[in-house]
Amino acid sequence: MTYFLFNMAATLCVPLLRNQGWLPLVQSVRHGSKAVTRHRKPLHILKQKLLAVTEYIPPARVVPPGVYPSQNKQVQEENGFALLLKKDLNKVFEECRMIAVVQRNASSAEDMLVLKHRLFKHGIRIKFFPNQVTRSFLINSVYSNMAPLFIGPTVLFVSKEPKVKEMLSALRASPQMTLLGACIDNTLLSAQGVVSYSKLPSMTIVQGELVSGFTMLTSRTASMLQRHPAHLSALLQQYIKQQSPDKDAEVVPKAEEAT
Amino acid sequence: MMSFVKAAARGLNAICRAHSQQGRKFVIENVRKYKQYLVNPWRNVVLPEKPKLKFLNKVPNLKKATKESKKLRDIQGPAKAANCFTTGQYAIIAMGGGYLHWGHLEMIRLTINRKIDARTTFARWRINAPYKPITRKGLGQRMGGGKGAIDHYVTPVRYGRLIVEVGGKIELGEVEHILTEVAKKLPFPAKVMSRESLEEMQRKQEEMEKNNQNPWTFQQIARGNMLGIRKVLSPFDLNNHGRFTGKFHLPGRV
Repeated sequence: MTYFLFNMAATLCVPLLRNQGWLPLVQSVRHGSKAVTRHRKPLHILKQKLLAVTEYIPPARVVPPGVYPSQNKQVQEENGFALLLKKDLNKVFEECRMIAVVQRNASSAEDMLVLKHRLFKHGIRIKFFPNQVTRSFLINSVYSNMAPLFIGPTVLFVSKEPKVKEMLSALRASPQMTLLGACIDNTLLSAQGVVSYSKLPSMTIVQGELVSGFTMLTSRTASMLQRHPAHLSALLQQYIKQQSPDKDAEVVPKAEEAT
Repeated sequence: MMSFVKAAARGLNAICRAHSQQGRKFVIENVRKYKQYLVNPWRNVVLPEKPKLKFLNKVPNLKKATKESKKLRDIQGPAKAANCFTTGQYAIIAMGGGYLHWGHLEMIRLTINRKIDARTTFARWRINAPYKPITRKGLGQRMGGGKGAIDHYVTPVRYGRLIVEVGGKIELGEVEHILTEVAKKLPFPAKVMSRESLEEMQRKQEEMEKNNQNPWTFQQIARGNMLGIRKVLSPFDLNNHGRFTGKFHLPGRV
């Protein structure tokens, strides 16, 4: 007992005995843990900083990762289910003119059901395929540029007729579904592209505009000739004046002779 | 693996029949030369008389048992003794420091002796029987009254020390599951390694040290006592270069 007290006194008094008349600011009575502990001893902040500063930094890579295809990953057999899904995908891509990729986040089953019902009225169907299968199918087909769209929880909206306006209105109603992109008539469109596609006028209107554009000249001349000839002559004179203001003297008598 | 190799040898034989006379001779000779190794890669392996692990005593045979101070520094830092292979090919290597007592040793001995095939494999201890006395006071005793009595003996083990070495006419796959089963039960993290994998680990560490792009290293700063950092470092950190704290090994440090 006495030995223990003397020990304790010695550990406390050693700093005092060194310098007479000097008292340390903080005197610790409790013993900390030893150097080798069962738990990971908390390191002094300066030691932590030192370890952080002197961490290993690997040399910079010459070739960034993912540039070259990996040599080991190519030997993977497809299971039967994946092949079946791929056949289905193939059929979908052949039949449907519009295929939209939509990301669904946290939409409940009833929301899905409501959306499905709304879209089915316009002939748009919702299809679910696993991302891996779709990506491997797309990479081997013509639509390889669509492959990066299929990341995360994605759903396919397919339809034979490209009814984009109805689809967009249905999507606007459900806030959790975000349109990522679409393939309409074998052309890839982004989300904005789809919106602008929806704003385009229908085929008949466009054709009518084209035809009217071509026949504009002839129809204008026809309408002009139908009016009084004095009107036509006045127009022609005005035109000549505008064309060459310097050569007025020469051209005006020519025009008068013509009329 | 063996069947694949045999198939390859058969294929080579088939190829050499198709080639010209000279090329044929060359290929046949080489196939004959390598076939010997392919068929029996362990021609030079000698199995010892007693292939199983021997029994280790719980208590060393001392005339007078003296109490010892704790000396936890026998756990600290990397192992200098018994850290490379001698006779065997695969071993359990400690990835941290700790004490092994007789219970652990019995577990190792019984598991390995039961599971290895004595005709093709042998095992060797790479640690001593327990020799360090650990004292304990009785239950409910107050502080003071002198050091307690010796309770049991332990063997201190440092990081990098081999515990058990296994060898013989075997591949790693035959013995790996036995050794991992044992390695999981040890009081410190342990790993099953072969000669090649140990060399690979050491080579990787050297390579890391060589091609480290960081201009500052722990060793440099500790040795030069830059910023008076030795106030918060231990004298052991000078030699361990920040790769160890207490009995733990910090991986990925250079």
